[in-house]
Amino acid sequence: MIDPRLDYVHVKTRRRLVFSAIHLLLYFSFALNWSELGNGLRQQLGDGPMTGSMLMFVILVLSFLAIECVFLLFDRDGAK
Amino acid sequence: MSRFRWLVLALLGSVWSLSSFAAGSIEGEIEQQALNPTAIVMFMVFVALTLGITWQAAKSTTSSAAFYNAGGKITGLQNGAAIAGDFMSAASFLGITGLIFVGGFDGLILSLGAFGAWPLLMFLFAKRVRNLGSFTFVDVVSKRLARGPIRIVASIGTIAVVVMYLIAQMVGAGKLIQLLFGLPYTAAVIIVSTLVLAYVAFGGMLATTWVQIIKAMLLLGGVTLIAILVLAETGFSFGALLSMATAKHPKGDAILAPGVVFKDPIQIATIQVSMLFGTLGLPHILMRLFTVPDMRQAKLSAFYASIFMGYFYIVLLVLGFGTIALLYGNPDFFDADGNIIGGTNMAAIHIATAVGGDILTGFMSAVSFATILAVVAGLTVSGAAAVSHDLYAQVIKRGEPDPKMELRITRIAVFVIGVVAVLLGIAFENENVAFIAVMPMVTAASVTFPILFLSLFWSGLTTRGAIVGALTGFLSSLILIVIGPQVWVSVMGNPEPLFPYNYPALFTMPLAFFVIWVVSIADNSERGQQDRANYHALLVQSEFGADD
Repeated sequence: MIDPRLDYVHVKTRRRLVFSAIHLLLYFSFALNWSELGNGLRQQLGDGPMTGSMLMFVILVLSFLAIECVFLLFDRDGAK
Repeated sequence: MSRFRWLVLALLGSVWSLSSFAAGSIEGEIEQQALNPTAIVMFMVFVALTLGITWQAAKSTTSSAAFYNAGGKITGLQNGAAIAGDFMSAASFLGITGLIFVGGFDGLILSLGAFGAWPLLMFLFAKRVRNLGSFTFVDVVSKRLARGPIRIVASIGTIAVVVMYLIAQMVGAGKLIQLLFGLPYTAAVIIVSTLVLAYVAFGGMLATTWVQIIKAMLLLGGVTLIAILVLAETGFSFGALLSMATAKHPKGDAILAPGVVFKDPIQIATIQVSMLFGTLGLPHILMRLFTVPDMRQAKLSAFYASIFMGYFYIVLLVLGFGTIALLYGNPDFFDADGNIIGGTNMAAIHIATAVGGDILTGFMSAVSFATILAVVAGLTVSGAAAVSHDLYAQVIKRGEPDPKMELRITRIAVFVIGVVAVLLGIAFENENVAFIAVMPMVTAASVTFPILFLSLFWSGLTTRGAIVGALTGFLSSLILIVIGPQVWVSVMGNPEPLFPYNYPALFTMPLAFFVIWVVSIADNSERGQQDRANYHALLVQSEFGADD
């Protein structure tokens, strides 16, 4: 007999995989810096020494934390 | 009383070792720096404090269960700090700062790699692993698969990962103490091992947890202070710091963008895959999920750990470029041949000297040593649990061990791991610790992660598929690491590597997944059908817990 809670678990599984996919996309986008597609990122921003690549590093770290916050908000219902 | 006597002996042994070897440094056996009394005092205070904690913890570590998971009474915040303390290793602090010192921006790939795994830990594993396991991740994978065979394979993978990870920590410890006290490298490695044996053998996971929490707070406080002092040198302008760095570094503006150390995007991808999925397969990190009382605290553990580590890696950005701006061109930190004293791994300590003098150097050196002790302690607990819980209790005794014998075997395993760590630490003395730290990541990404992920997220997984895939991942990782540049050229002295990349997880992990998939779908055995049938019950339990 199929457990009636399985549907709920499948929804949660899909959510986990969607968040993971978004995270992986962001994470591996950092490798663009070492490819020709990342030429623009390697340039300095304005007159300062900071490059787009460095800014991307900081933004990625902060966005990872933000994604975790969003996930926690979605997952607040716990196991009920 | 007996425990107390052992702890006192361990403390006295450390003091004796330091005193006698320090005398050797005064006689000029070791190059780098004069004896630093501040550092020695701070180090001894830390040792005394942590051994005191161990003594307290030993009172409640009277069973193997308490040894493995501290009774499951650690809160999410405490566990998050302990996870951060476990992962912010010598490789992170010394190695990444050193790599930024050498190559600027390229060093950040290791920072992002080290940090990137934590969101995935929360999304994929925190809750489900906590709900399904007791003490180790092997408990989780053996829930739906044939207990004996999968435990043996997963335990061997755990031990291999633990041993390789220990190498990086021991190398960091040896170099740090060599620089700080002028001790022989070998003696430094032995001292670390002795102290960790005292922590782990008597205090188990509880002592290890508190050592990691204290160390995490000290490390975060220390790097924050250095970052503030570095920025103070440039009027609290990060832009001015970068300008100063580019003016001092031989590569100039090139250090602000990729390409100084790493040029090949595939090489970058290999590092990213190894660090991300390797971290998710590290047994000592996964083991920490069982120290909290419930799944909510497990999830929060991952979140708090992310906050601590995200902050840490951003601050390392300031420290790393601070080393370039303030160390290059300063003869105090370079030897007669123009090499930085103690090697690039020591740039993080030198920057403390540059901005804070002997007191800050002493503090950061003591904290770095504490860092190594905390990580080695976590690894040792994990390795010992693989032997005593996964192999002895669950495989040999089929889940019904003699509790006293299990605890005794745990402590014997702790001792053996300590000896192995010393021997390997000596063998790998001259390698960059950050690079070495990636090696166990490759194995974890290719063995632990595939079987753990598929056991939780794929109904088709069978015991046969998991075992053949894990062995494939393990053997392919070892072979490609051995014939890669780090071992084939650097260790064995061959002119050219047979495989061009140091971190082959980009190739070995997909291979492991593919083999698991092929063997599982081709598996028509009765056991295979049972493995598939077990999945839905496991899935429900992973979300709702065992008692629901």
